[in-house]
Amino acid sequence: MTESSNVQGAMVIERTFDAPVDLVWQMWTDPDHFAAWYGPEGATIPVAKMDVRVGGTRLVGMEVQTPGGPMQMWFTGEYREVVENRRLVYTESMSDENGNVSSPSDMGMPEGHPMTTEVRVDLEDVGGRTKMVLTHAGIPVDSPGAAGWKMALDKLAGHIDALAGS
Amino acid sequence: MTTAIDEERLDETFAALANSTRRAILDRLANGAATVNELAEPFEMTLPAISKHIKVLERAGLVLRGQQAQYRPCALDAAPLQEVSTWAEQYRPVWEARFDRMDSYLEQLRPQTKGKRTR
Repeated sequence: MTESSNVQGAMVIERTFDAPVDLVWQMWTDPDHFAAWYGPEGATIPVAKMDVRVGGTRLVGMEVQTPGGPMQMWFTGEYREVVENRRLVYTESMSDENGNVSSPSDMGMPEGHPMTTEVRVDLEDVGGRTKMVLTHAGIPVDSPGAAGWKMALDKLAGHIDALAGS
Repeated sequence: MTTAIDEERLDETFAALANSTRRAILDRLANGAATVNELAEPFEMTLPAISKHIKVLERAGLVLRGQQAQYRPCALDAAPLQEVSTWAEQYRPVWEARFDRMDSYLEQLRPQTKGKRTR
């Protein structure tokens, strides 16, 4: 369990919240709750559409006030795993307001740069409190079994630690 | 290129990893060095096809080739994978700030949620 913060190719954060697991689940799946914390500071979330079921889509619109006026950013994705109060996995890409995914060149990135990431939320009830483990991983574009990519990296983790030294 | 992320190399790493055969090859190499013949064994592929995949991994710096005669064993080089981790780390401060806000939001909700737990 200790190496969970060390998963290769992914960023992992573990937090415990003083709230029941079903409420923390709603933080991720109820658009009103989600908009209250997702931020960033000073930004609003005027749109959060969440079809929370496997294969369902999500679309999140973020509005930031800039000196030049309000600026909107859109993110879309698909739910990969939905296990109520336990696990939520979704993909995330920058998009337009209709959910059309931006290409790397739209974003000024070289072709092949991963524009889709995967967010995984694992929840666990710990005596009325909730332990949450967030895993955020990059997924290479046009990778059919994108999840397999991360699994492969996870399996390599031990060897990498040994090979790469301290 | 020291501690800063080398974007071009990172793209090459991602491109190299975006293929299940190449990931399987890396997985095999994680257990130790192997010759091209050994690497080809589990796949229904010709040797030239496997060699092509190995070349892609070599260019991405994920595989090193030995100099020993005709065998030229392949070995895993994990350094580029470390960079993938570094790339993922840029999201950390964003999430940390979000969870700070989630924490205070949950605190605001607390009095109302006591005794009224939605299923």
